[in-house]
Amino acid sequence: MKSEEPIIKIRNLKRHYKTGKVIVKALNGVSFDVREGEFLAIMGPSGSGKTTLLRILGLIDKPTSGQYTIKNLDVVNLPEEEKIFYRLTQLGYVFQDYALVNEMSAIENVYIISLMEDLSKEQSQETAKLALERVGLGDKLDRIPDQLSGGEKQRVAVARAISKTPKILFADEPCANLDTKTSRQMLEIFKMLNEKYGQTIVMVTHEDWHTEFVSRIINLKDGRITSDKKVYK
Amino acid sequence: MFKDVKVGFLTAKSSVKRGNKKTTIFIIFVLSLIFLNLIFLPSLINGMMKLFVGFVQDYAYGDVVIEPADGNVYINDADNILTKIRSLNDVEAAAKRLTVGASLAYEQKEVGVTILGVVPSDEEKVSLYPYIVKEGDFLGDLSRNEIIVGAMIAGTGPGSEIYDNLGEVKIGSLINATYGNNLKKIYKVKGIQEGTFELTDLNALVSFKELESVLGIEGEHKASSIVIRVQKAGEEADVKSQILGMGIKDKVFTWQEKAEVLIKQATQSMSTLDIVSKIVSLIIGASLIFIVNYINTLNRKKEIGILKAVGVSPASVIISYIFISLFYVMMGIILGLVLFLFLTLYLQTNPITFYGSLKIYPVLELSLLMQSILIMITMSLIAGFLPSWLVTKESILDAIWSRE
Ligand SMILES: Nc1ncnc2c1ncn2[C@@H]1O[C@H](COP(=O)(O)OP(=O)(O)OP(=O)(O)O)[C@@H](O)[C@H]1O
Ligand SMILES: [Mg+2]
Repeated sequence: MKSEEPIIKIRNLKRHYKTGKVIVKALNGVSFDVREGEFLAIMGPSGSGKTTLLRILGLIDKPTSGQYTIKNLDVVNLPEEEKIFYRLTQLGYVFQDYALVNEMSAIENVYIISLMEDLSKEQSQETAKLALERVGLGDKLDRIPDQLSGGEKQRVAVARAISKTPKILFADEPCANLDTKTSRQMLEIFKMLNEKYGQTIVMVTHEDWHTEFVSRIINLKDGRITSDKKVYK
Repeated sequence: MFKDVKVGFLTAKSSVKRGNKKTTIFIIFVLSLIFLNLIFLPSLINGMMKLFVGFVQDYAYGDVVIEPADGNVYINDADNILTKIRSLNDVEAAAKRLTVGASLAYEQKEVGVTILGVVPSDEEKVSLYPYIVKEGDFLGDLSRNEIIVGAMIAGTGPGSEIYDNLGEVKIGSLINATYGNNLKKIYKVKGIQEGTFELTDLNALVSFKELESVLGIEGEHKASSIVIRVQKAGEEADVKSQILGMGIKDKVFTWQEKAEVLIKQATQSMSTLDIVSKIVSLIIGASLIFIVNYINTLNRKKEIGILKAVGVSPASVIISYIFISLFYVMMGIILGLVLFLFLTLYLQTNPITFYGSLKIYPVLELSLLMQSILIMITMSLIAGFLPSWLVTKESILDAIWSRE
């Protein structure tokens, strides 16, 4: 029965950016549900509002209007502190531009989160190491972001998001800077997390071949959904 | 809370370890100058006061001094009191003195002075007067028509140019003295004393007996003051209470009490200077620490946004900036102390001098040191807290992606 009740519900979500006198309607009324255990791809041309949508889903940004609940909890209007805690304990997020702390090594960037979750330093480092090894960076644990390539940084960002096996994982073009082989490895990891741990995954991508890993595809254009279809294998 | 501290510490550590080294060194250097500024002038003034108080102790009051009760010109029964005091356990030595105003004249010149009547053999044990005679000799117990004059009034010592003096008085010169009661005497100069200090160098000394006869109080056992030396430093208060316990009516002061009054009186302007300089350094210091931290924090706005975005609590972020700020300030304090040490060593070989021989060294009291460290740390706590708190209040979107 658990897959019947949606874990994410959004209704008529809008996000308007004000830049000077111009108002950019990045999201212009988006509604859909995500069921637990789904692996959802969000696609669409550049500037269609994918990142904007994902940031709102990841509680990093607020919608201008509309409803968004996770398990019927009105997460948009949680107090700031609770929102941070919710993000820490329930959500994982891979940023399109990595968002790594420049002064922290790869492993520190990852294990700081486990530390925040009150794991001991040794435990935190251990989980971080596992996550980094999983994305193929086991030999670069102590490098700082400046000493890593774009693709490697992206993989650190992935490791950070998956290290604590979050309930819901949001990934904003997690393979944008990776070659086909490494991209495939990442997607395999996501698929494994999705199948083995039942993690719900929402991933932004614009590579058609990525869709062979997902269970559903939503297409965006100009801040609106143009298609929403299940992928049957 | 504990995990906030842990995470804050990790963030602070990596930020200091991998941050821009030049910036770090510059910040620490500036903080060390702020700290130096906080301790240097006050400790120099303190050194000056110490020197001054030392003089007061060595010449004017000894360790404990007895002065006439209010309304009395003299201590009555001085010899009796002296005997009793000398028999006290902790007392090393005691001497009586007489003090009187007079004017001295030599050739065409005339100056007003305080003439001290001392018992020469006793004075050796309570003050440094007998040891600062630069030319000639100190008085003997039998001296009657002999006088010791200070170098500043003799016109020979350093500093004499700023005071009226007698010109060129030499050993053996004859000087006319006119006392308040119009009595005139002629004295032969037996010695010239030089302590490079007004208290000694603007004074003149004659024997106690001589002043007794001038004042017409021979055989009346009177004195203007009794100066006492204790055996061990620290026994002053104890000796004072023993003396008071003897039931005398005269006033008893320890040198600390005298110094307090003197410092309050004579160094009013000095301590105003001290306070003003402290306040100014505090304001400058606080602003600098704050600005340095503020810029530092604003430069890391993006990092703060990222940390928040991945679930690091604002408390951890603030704690990390407090750690960073504390680290800078601690290093600044350490470097400041090293600089202070070098400055002190430099002043050891190139002292600040007055009158050519009065040397002043900075004396850093523990209390001043503690106070300054406390001030620095308090400022660093505020300067670590405020900017990071302001930045954590901003939305993640603004912190990470805003174009400033
Ligand atoms: N902070 C902002 N201020 C103003 N406009 C913005 C801001 N962020 C995004 N936009 C605009 O909103 C629209 C959607 O942007 P968004 O980043 O969501 O697109 P995207 O689908 O993720 O594009 P891409 O595939 O290039 O990453 C774009 O027109 C963009 O210019
Ligand atoms: Mg995007």
